[in-house]
Amino acid sequence: MSDSQQTQTQTRTTGSDQPLETTSGETVEETKSEWVAYDFQGEAKLVAEDLDVYYGGDHALKGVSMEIPEESVTALIGPSGCGKSTYLRCLNRMNDRISAARVEGSVQLDGKEVYQDGVNLVELRKRVGMVFQSPNPFPKSIRDNISYGPRKHGDIDTGLLARVLGRDDGEAERELVERSLKQAALWDEVHDRLDDNALGLSGGQQQRLCIARCLSVDPEVILMDEPASALDPIATAKIEDLIDDLAEEYTVVIVTHNMQQAARISDQTAVFLTGGKLVEYGDTEKIFENPESQRVEDYITGKFG
Amino acid sequence: MSDLVRDRLDRALAALETVDEAAARDVIAGDDAVDRRYLELESTCIQLFAQQQPVAGDLRFVAASFKILTDLERVADLAVNLAQYTLEADRKRFAEVDLSAIGDLACRMLDDAMTAYRTDDAALCREVAARDDELDSLCQRASERVVRDLIEREAADGDGWAVERVLDDVSRLLLIVRDLERVGDHAVNVAARTLYMIESDPELV
Repeated sequence: MSDSQQTQTQTRTTGSDQPLETTSGETVEETKSEWVAYDFQGEAKLVAEDLDVYYGGDHALKGVSMEIPEESVTALIGPSGCGKSTYLRCLNRMNDRISAARVEGSVQLDGKEVYQDGVNLVELRKRVGMVFQSPNPFPKSIRDNISYGPRKHGDIDTGLLARVLGRDDGEAERELVERSLKQAALWDEVHDRLDDNALGLSGGQQQRLCIARCLSVDPEVILMDEPASALDPIATAKIEDLIDDLAEEYTVVIVTHNMQQAARISDQTAVFLTGGKLVEYGDTEKIFENPESQRVEDYITGKFG
Repeated sequence: MSDLVRDRLDRALAALETVDEAAARDVIAGDDAVDRRYLELESTCIQLFAQQQPVAGDLRFVAASFKILTDLERVADLAVNLAQYTLEADRKRFAEVDLSAIGDLACRMLDDAMTAYRTDDAALCREVAARDDELDSLCQRASERVVRDLIEREAADGDGWAVERVLDDVSRLLLIVRDLERVGDHAVNVAARTLYMIESDPELV
């Protein structure tokens, strides 16, 4: 973070949400998010600068600049269609998979541009993993769900050919499966049935399996898009506890519709409002006790949105 | 709740002034109604926390109200104390100590604090807090006066019996003064929580 930003207040919203009036008298909607500076302790893991996303003619994300601190939980909240998931998907270039999507601006991971030509997307998504709203385990065994990624990446080598060639990493695989499942707080529930089909697990277990699968390739950042919205309160509580533990080692960015969840688990919260703009970003405690922006206050107290 | 509490306090002060024992007993008996109202409102706040999970301005409103309720309930307890002293004290002694002036000031502070709460008036919150010094010095002067009187009596009368005769009245009067000062302290608390509610400013808390 630059020195000039260090001196800024804890959260700040500037700019206006009013349409701009042009010299000809017609009004055009402002296409930039209010400039938001957030002065946090520690290093920024991800930095977005002036990020715009268009889906065809639809301007879905408008000039978002935001620094995400490492080893903490950052929550993105806002009404449906506000751009929060779009923003999340920019962070590991998942929007590239949508042919109509066009991204402008910059995202840096540890200071390196993510949107540069020649960036290895497989490597990027290994470093910046993702967990989705509905648990989506592979229709394979629990063990294979975990070891699939590392095997694909060539980190471990198992199977008949590996055994024949004497390169079998069976022990490494067992350790990896155990470690990943333990990190995802699932090991105790499944250690005696690792060869069962993952689809036989409960929804909450499947979601923790997906988190374990994400952890197995040793990521640095974990993006979560509504990871608990399809789960019951007990499974949700387990996921939330897990997120809290993960933040000791990983940078977690989570999109949630559940404001109480954001308030419970995140260190900092970014509020996006309709139109793809980031309106306020700051310490979670501050956002939920005394937000700067009246529109954020109205949104989180349920007066609109 | 604040109207109810203010009514108790008014009655207690009037009873004290006129040494009206029947009115004092009414105040003491009426405390149950205050307690019931307090518990009702407290549970309303808890329900709001549990079911609505208020945030931002709503959160500060419920949290401040929750704390202010306790202060109001304590003021009602102090009114009961005052009524109790009325039943015990001989107000013919120390008539020169102007308890009603102290009582009036404390009541006005409480009224203004509640007005600030009702009307979101941050300036009035700070004003109430500033007035506490005035109340404290009134109380201190009153206390010094009765203590000095006691000391003079002892000096004038070698056998000590004159002091024994007024000792109960002196200590009771000191307690009255202390309780009125506390009413002012609770008014400042109400103002402090109200300021937090309005501006999220913990300056007075």
